Amino acid sequence: MTTSLLPIKKTISPADPAEVASVIGDAFRAKTPLYPIGGGTTLDFGLPAKAEGAGLSLAKLSRVVDYPARDMTVTVEAGLTMKALADLLATERQRLPIDVPQSEQATIGGMIATNWNGPRRYGQGTVRDYVIGISAIDGRGMPFKGGGRVVKNVAGYDFCKLLTGSLGTLGVITQVTLKLKPQCDQTALVACAVSSASEAEKLLAAIVRSETVPMAVELLVGPSWQVDPALAALDRPSAAPLYLVVGLEGMHSEVEWMTRQLLAEWEQLGITSPLVVGDSADLWRRLVEFSAAGESPLVLKASIAPSGVTAMVEAARQVDSQCSIQAHAGNGIVVMRFSQFPANGLSRTLVGQLQPVAMAHGGNIVVLSNPSGAEMTHQSVWGGIDAPFGLMSEVKRRFDPADILNRGRFVYV
Amino acid sequence: MPFAPVTPKLIDRLRQAVGVENVLAARSDLLVYECDGFVIEKNSPDVVVFPRHTQDVAEVVKICSAADVPFLPRGAGTSLAGGCLPIGGGVMIVLTRMQQIVEINLRDRYAVVEPGVVNVWLTNALKGSGYHYAPDPSSQGACTIGGNVATNSGGPHTLKYGVTVNHVLGVEAVLSDGRIVQIGGPTEDPVGLDLVGALVGSEGTLAIVTKVWVRLTRNPQGYRTMLAVFESVDDATNAISEIIGKGIVPAALELMDQGILVAVEAAFQFGFPLDAQAILLIEVDGLEAGLDHQRDEIVALCKQSGAREVRLAADDKERLKLWKCRKQAFGAIGRLSPSYCTQDGVVPRTKLPHILRKITEIGSRYGLRIVNVFHAGDGNIHPILLFDERDAEQTKRVLEASHEILDECLKCGGSVTGEHGIGVEKIAFMNRMFTDSDLVAMQNLHDAFNPRGNLSPAKLLPTAGACGMEQKHPGRRAAL
Repeated sequence: MTTSLLPIKKTISPADPAEVASVIGDAFRAKTPLYPIGGGTTLDFGLPAKAEGAGLSLAKLSRVVDYPARDMTVTVEAGLTMKALADLLATERQRLPIDVPQSEQATIGGMIATNWNGPRRYGQGTVRDYVIGISAIDGRGMPFKGGGRVVKNVAGYDFCKLLTGSLGTLGVITQVTLKLKPQCDQTALVACAVSSASEAEKLLAAIVRSETVPMAVELLVGPSWQVDPALAALDRPSAAPLYLVVGLEGMHSEVEWMTRQLLAEWEQLGITSPLVVGDSADLWRRLVEFSAAGESPLVLKASIAPSGVTAMVEAARQVDSQCSIQAHAGNGIVVMRFSQFPANGLSRTLVGQLQPVAMAHGGNIVVLSNPSGAEMTHQSVWGGIDAPFGLMSEVKRRFDPADILNRGRFVYV
Repeated sequence: MPFAPVTPKLIDRLRQAVGVENVLAARSDLLVYECDGFVIEKNSPDVVVFPRHTQDVAEVVKICSAADVPFLPRGAGTSLAGGCLPIGGGVMIVLTRMQQIVEINLRDRYAVVEPGVVNVWLTNALKGSGYHYAPDPSSQGACTIGGNVATNSGGPHTLKYGVTVNHVLGVEAVLSDGRIVQIGGPTEDPVGLDLVGALVGSEGTLAIVTKVWVRLTRNPQGYRTMLAVFESVDDATNAISEIIGKGIVPAALELMDQGILVAVEAAFQFGFPLDAQAILLIEVDGLEAGLDHQRDEIVALCKQSGAREVRLAADDKERLKLWKCRKQAFGAIGRLSPSYCTQDGVVPRTKLPHILRKITEIGSRYGLRIVNVFHAGDGNIHPILLFDERDAEQTKRVLEASHEILDECLKCGGSVTGEHGIGVEKIAFMNRMFTDSDLVAMQNLHDAFNPRGNLSPAKLLPTAGACGMEQKHPGRRAAL
């Protein structure tokens, strides 16, 4: 784990929630910024931290509190890694169907704080759909919780939702209860390649009407995918093809039927040489890992109406013809890994070229990772859009009046 | 600090703002609005306004805010926890005249509706499209989507598809000072805090929703709908545990006990066995390729758990009739008693056998008849306590027995409400479910949106705006 991205001289690792509360309470009185750290896999997400402070690692809060498997819920501390959770759930043939890269480091708390989701969001929903109980410590050191341990519950305000994606700025998450799903019997990936964005859109629009029920609808573009071994068997219709990969999961009979059906539907649309990926596990892994920061000089994420995905892809390729792109196309999410930092600057690229495309399709575009740290302004990082940031800031002031939690990193104005 | 009273001058200002035809202020007209589906407490608003546009709502809220009077939103008034009870009177903003389906976008799988759109209208408008709006509360023929957002409504099919919050992408809302904001919208990951998630289920205490972006869901290819008949409630609840424990997630899994079956059969003549102690209504949906297998597994598990028989709905007509019986079961209760009070506790699914035994025991101890029809797959019970609200002593017993049932849910690690909300009914339970500091955090969120507290005062939080809430005209508590 690298914490060099943060202006911290030390990292405190409390052993339990009470210690977390006391660390935060002390920091509140001293007005010292604290930077919550889970597995350290997404510390470059958000505005760069400027105020010197201390790291607050949740690594020691990694206990499994309760796993009543027959109720299909689990209660765990926030510092447990995604891998450790997956291994535990596998013993009961259950899973949390949220795809998070670097699962051996990434923690449950980090996944929730960043609202990180992957390909299966099309069929399984996102983090907010699974958190049914949450405990956190606010910016004064006061513990609070929302939800509970049952799958259906509307008592009180829904802090599970409020804290999901809050980047640790309202409270440091210490414990959560998650709703679980059964594991599936079988999984398959079906792929094809097309040469133009308009052909891709035709296929994507058809999936909305498909008789199949996909788990993932991925549009993959650029050098990373052109060298992908699983996709190598596909005929390339052009030098820079767009790959459509559809994930299917369920019972054996369902996956077999869906595979046949999807191929038949594609054939009607002129797809003559599709591919049923042989070893789908490897490609699934790459689909999950793509959004990890890695070596890319710039990673952006657009969230737009699904019908705008191909336009976003085209816009990104105009900025950088070697840009590698993974779109969770059914959800309108486009992750763009640039091959180089834009020559005319980040803000000019975003404000001048990419943000207008996102806005035209009802959405936004945020910076996931920019190791250079250049031009990381509110306007660039948080989409330059007209969102109710004032109201969010009002909430922030009530939960963290001294502004110690991840100061200066989130959307507040 | 108490709020100001509603004056004739204020009512005139409201008439000017939204038009004379959109304001009710005569005592007799206001009687309709003195309660929702929770009939135990009643109080009339001083005036009711029917905005037709977001701007009207903003204007009305600004007038209320400037005059410092309490105000609250209301949809169809089907909620069951008193969320629409105008405590302290004030201005009631009824949203049922904002009833346009603004947009249906199938390519991007969303629809935009005004808050007064009745839940089932949207699904009707989508007929033939291959899509539907998934949350299906039993009151879906009457309740509004705005009200569903306020209470985070569930319904039988939420077991597989999730509750309202899982299907809301964004809202336009009027804040307590009259500002109009859009939070979220047609896309999935809005920037910043998930205020949509915070607003859904906030029971009208944070803002008044004036437009909703909802996710549309693909219709399943097929259904298998089963009716499993049990000689004992225990066997039925054990079957539920077995089915869920096997990793099968039905689309719906509902239980009806003998008491409610008799009333439902009298009302709808479906052909339910009247000697059965419990039936499970189980539906799986999805791809035809997998349905027979799931059906066979469920039938086997029910039989292993002691089911006397498992019937299958022969066709779509029979399936729809079964669902009609289930969804209108509450309407049949009139055959059993003049009044009823239903509770909405939740327990971990494996605790269902325990809680149902406890409900029977509590019923006999208080000398009350209790019947059950509920969302068993979610562990969300709905014991229905039968009584006559004209009898003060009976009413008192009903409240005490209800509280004992909810206490038991909490002891099982559950919740006092799965889908109906806290409202005024369960406000006393909040500090049993939550610690003081949990409630302080909730108050902080409340105050960020609604600092003066005159939007839906005295709801949801035991502390919310409780000051100055003396009744100006006598409130009515059923027979108490």
